[in-house]
Amino acid sequence: MAVYKHNYSAYTGSITPPWKRVAAIARYAFLEAWSSKITIGLFVLSLLPFVLFLIGIYLANNPLARALINSQGPQTIAIDARYFAKVLSSQCWLGFVLASWIAPRLITFDLADNALPILLSHPVSRLGYVSGKFIALFGSLSVVTWVPCLLLFVYQGYSSPQPWAAANLRIAFGLFAGAVIWIAFISILCLALSSWVKWRVVATGIIFAAMFVPAGVGGIFSAVLRTRWGLLLNIPVMMSNIWQRLLGAPAPFNDRLSLPTGAIAVMLGLACFLFIAMLNARIRAREVVRG
Amino acid sequence: MNDTIVFEDVSKFYGEVLGVNRISLSIPPGITTLVGPNGSGKTTLMNLMTGLVQPSSGRISVLGLTPDSAPEFFSMVGYCTQFDFFPRGVTGWQFILDSLMLHGMEEDMAVHLTIEALERVQLGDAAGRSIAGYSKGMRQKIRLAQAIAHHPRVLVLDEPLNGLDPMARAESIALFQELGRQGMHVLISSHILDEVDRISDRVVLITGGYLIAEGSIHQVRQEVHEKPMQVLIRCEHPELLASKMFAINHCVEARLHADGKGVFLRTADIDQFHTMLCGIAAKGLVKIDAVAPADDDANAIYQYLIGSDGSAS
Repeated sequence: MAVYKHNYSAYTGSITPPWKRVAAIARYAFLEAWSSKITIGLFVLSLLPFVLFLIGIYLANNPLARALINSQGPQTIAIDARYFAKVLSSQCWLGFVLASWIAPRLITFDLADNALPILLSHPVSRLGYVSGKFIALFGSLSVVTWVPCLLLFVYQGYSSPQPWAAANLRIAFGLFAGAVIWIAFISILCLALSSWVKWRVVATGIIFAAMFVPAGVGGIFSAVLRTRWGLLLNIPVMMSNIWQRLLGAPAPFNDRLSLPTGAIAVMLGLACFLFIAMLNARIRAREVVRG
Repeated sequence: MNDTIVFEDVSKFYGEVLGVNRISLSIPPGITTLVGPNGSGKTTLMNLMTGLVQPSSGRISVLGLTPDSAPEFFSMVGYCTQFDFFPRGVTGWQFILDSLMLHGMEEDMAVHLTIEALERVQLGDAAGRSIAGYSKGMRQKIRLAQAIAHHPRVLVLDEPLNGLDPMARAESIALFQELGRQGMHVLISSHILDEVDRISDRVVLITGGYLIAEGSIHQVRQEVHEKPMQVLIRCEHPELLASKMFAINHCVEARLHADGKGVFLRTADIDQFHTMLCGIAAKGLVKIDAVAPADDDANAIYQYLIGSDGSAS
């Protein structure tokens, strides 16, 4: 028998902290998300309302510009909580469209390609993997939600002849908090649903269905039982309630569509719990080959 | 640090589906090949070894560490899956570099190790190209580079020779052998039994989730008592040699070689057989040119213990 010299040396150098490895996954996911031309197109589309609202603020604060377009009155557009509620609502829903496109790219490709075994054989936990994807999605959605909303707020504060910003800080907080709650919720929703489907287009469809089908079911429930609690399945209505309260804006709808904040929080919390359970069940490095 | 991979009564069930059942193994450094039919539990065993799945019962220790101590454990293990996964659009260079970053390397070190790994698998020239444009063999090589780049002590390779042309296969085998000689644990699953013979220090036979045998091919073959050893003897008068061996009542089967210049003899006691053969040769009764075991290889062991239909006999 030959005698071999065992001179192989394993790597014994320093290693980076765990968050840096999660950041590597997030960077990967971010590149994946923005490598599609459709993502860029949706991003541009998402900024169109921003531009319109920006023009609105400009006109509201510039009498000369209003005169040039023959607008009547000292200020035709009121820049207040109601105005920013519309800004927040439109940006958030466009953010949802963007999320429904991006999230399946982040998860379903990995599932379809059986990527999880190779990714999770690195010192990255399942939580780290999901966190990396979540950070990438959250970051991408931030660019079309709270960032433009706050930019509009800053612009209004800058343009307004009165000391407007200091008196309306609640709006800024509401814009930020409302957008963050929304994008955190839809990020986890979209990742969870994407993890159960291997076809990206189907995943996008299911994400839309998950948003609107329960609302229809809730509507039927409310109509049959003559109760408003069916609205707890209606995510758009629940989020409108939250946004309106965070911004301090008057309710855009009648009392029949109003829900207690606590009930909404519990419902969204339960939904998040369900989505986490779905991710826990699917994000596994299981690689069973049979047949 | 402990130098073995130890499975202690390990079982893994996926719901009601059996992955592996009550596996006890101790694997020292060198090249170990997992052999078994499709669905036998090879990949489950590899996933358990790499910490990707947790056992339903039993305990696994890889060089004294368990997957609970994740950073140390995963930095010690390199895994090359059988699936053809690559992040879309990345180049070979990016794939290795990002993998090293996931292993927690600083960027300077990651760049250095990426160059080293790409050179080892001879893909340095193609590193800047998108993996999507690689041939199947190149994709297999880049997966191998990814598995060895961070200098693991345990290298787990699921079907690493699939898709490689003969030259690339020879290069890969040479690399495995070099790593094995240097003291690395190299675990390979393979269906290519001829290559199992060439590269393995030991084999682990598994079917239906059950461990059938483990050890060096020769050791395992000797343990298969119900199948007497077959020896090929090249000589001038094979029929005469066969009659002599039968006369002393030692052989259980004799079959002439197709070219008429040799005979396959089966014996229940190989040591005594060799002694008797020496006696015959010494007396000059038959001129013997060569003696070689005819079924002391992975293929024969597979046939005897697992069978061509994959069901253990």
